[in-house]
Amino acid sequence: MSKGIVLDPTVGGAKSSLSNDRPHASFGLGSLRGRVLGIRGDELWRSWDWVVNEWRSALESEGARVVFWRSAGNRAGKEAERVDRELQAFLDEVDVVVSGLANCGSCTMWTVHDALAGADRGMPAVAVATEQFRGLAQALTARGGHPDLPLQILPYPLETQDEPDVRVVARSAYADLLGTLGVAR
Amino acid sequence: MTTLTSDRVEADLDPAAFMAQAEAAGWGDGLPLIPPTEERVREHVDASGRPPDDVVAVLETVATRFTVEKIAVNAVMAGTRPATMPLLCAAIEAMTDPSQELSGLNATTAPVVSALFVNGPIRHRLHVPFAGGCFGGEAGPGPAIGRALRLVMRNVAGQRIGTTSESVFGQPARVTGIVVGEFEERSPWAPLAERRGVPGDAVTAYAAMGTANILDMVAATGADVLEVIGKSVAYLGTNAFVPQAVLAEVAIAINPTWAMEIVGRDFPDIRDVQELIWRHASLPVGWFPAHFHPDLEEWGRIKPDGRVHLVSSPEDVIVFVCGGNGGLHATFMQCFSGTLAATRSVRSPA
Repeated sequence: MSKGIVLDPTVGGAKSSLSNDRPHASFGLGSLRGRVLGIRGDELWRSWDWVVNEWRSALESEGARVVFWRSAGNRAGKEAERVDRELQAFLDEVDVVVSGLANCGSCTMWTVHDALAGADRGMPAVAVATEQFRGLAQALTARGGHPDLPLQILPYPLETQDEPDVRVVARSAYADLLGTLGVAR
Repeated sequence: MTTLTSDRVEADLDPAAFMAQAEAAGWGDGLPLIPPTEERVREHVDASGRPPDDVVAVLETVATRFTVEKIAVNAVMAGTRPATMPLLCAAIEAMTDPSQELSGLNATTAPVVSALFVNGPIRHRLHVPFAGGCFGGEAGPGPAIGRALRLVMRNVAGQRIGTTSESVFGQPARVTGIVVGEFEERSPWAPLAERRGVPGDAVTAYAAMGTANILDMVAATGADVLEVIGKSVAYLGTNAFVPQAVLAEVAIAINPTWAMEIVGRDFPDIRDVQELIWRHASLPVGWFPAHFHPDLEEWGRIKPDGRVHLVSSPEDVIVFVCGGNGGLHATFMQCFSGTLAATRSVRSPA
């Protein structure tokens, strides 16, 4: 048996060397009146469209202006540059971000990525994930330097449910969303 | 002397003991590992021709820097020779090209892995497999090279099942990678990388969902072979037929006998090969279940002739030559949609 010294093959997973690790803004929004709330959608999940549809109406009734942006699933090469420009323009327009839907591996990565892009600007940001992808989303928020970025969790599987059932899920999760945002009712 | 900055860890260098320690530390993949002693790592770094702190690539989406030193540590553990370092660095450059969408590849539920296709004289210098059994079975360095990159994905990019990877099934190449050369000496066409604008020593990264075989025992013309290949790669459940998958490719390895004796004879221009495969790699829209139809229409996937093509254009059909001289087979690799192949030059150390 021989002892020796080896080199650690890993790197720290935190974003410390690449970001300022700015804390995200306080989520004590109080009221949504006058707020511009951005909801990030995607091309893949019709269930998320139904949830957004429910939430959008409710948020607007709280006095928020809701801006919806649908991210392309294809984020490679020049398409990625185009989507990133859209993301930045979306973030320019809003002051709160709700990003979904983390409902597969790569979509979780991009959902969290886009939420982090909002958090990096100092704005309240929430990533929405289905239960199956909670762990991955948490790992990615930590890796992205915002381990405390809130997740709004929806049940899994969601996409296989009928539209009326998904709308029930959306309505029942709405109070949690407001709680995360710190909206007083 | 080169300064290495990785944390030093006391270890038992006995193979079984080191493997147990490495597994406990989360460094491994279930196979035996070579202890990355400072001497071994230094030899790999020196062979790269680059300083150890040289940042080969940055993956902004998950805030990851790939340094020469970390690539070297993982390369030692995987059992590669030092001379592979320039190829490994070029491979990381290609894999992290934004067109590869590596952070999505690492997180996805799919079994995708970055396959590497190697061109140029470096195939011979490193003995990269490109003839019989090149995708697995030849007793060459391909699996060690591929494994080095898979360990880099685990230990540097943080790709771990159950934590940062949701891969439902995975695939064997998530451990050993897919590393093949092109059999340029037995190809009627220019090397793949040269056709992609990178002549000489080069590596192309392609997001592969695995390999699958195509057999034809009777085809006698290039058109026959390409029809079989095209119709074989177009199956319903592949990523490229997801209606939203407007960015997709398919990679096809043609054996040298077909390439030289049949396909190349009838189609000396590779663009004609790509065109014919592309034309056959399509399905009538009626073949798709009804729940596909609204999205196929919305995303403009249905052509005027009522067919849905696997990929958008013939340029998205990646063709190269490798394999044994026994003929009869082609190998294809479906892509992880939303990604495009990337090619990088392999820089020799000064």
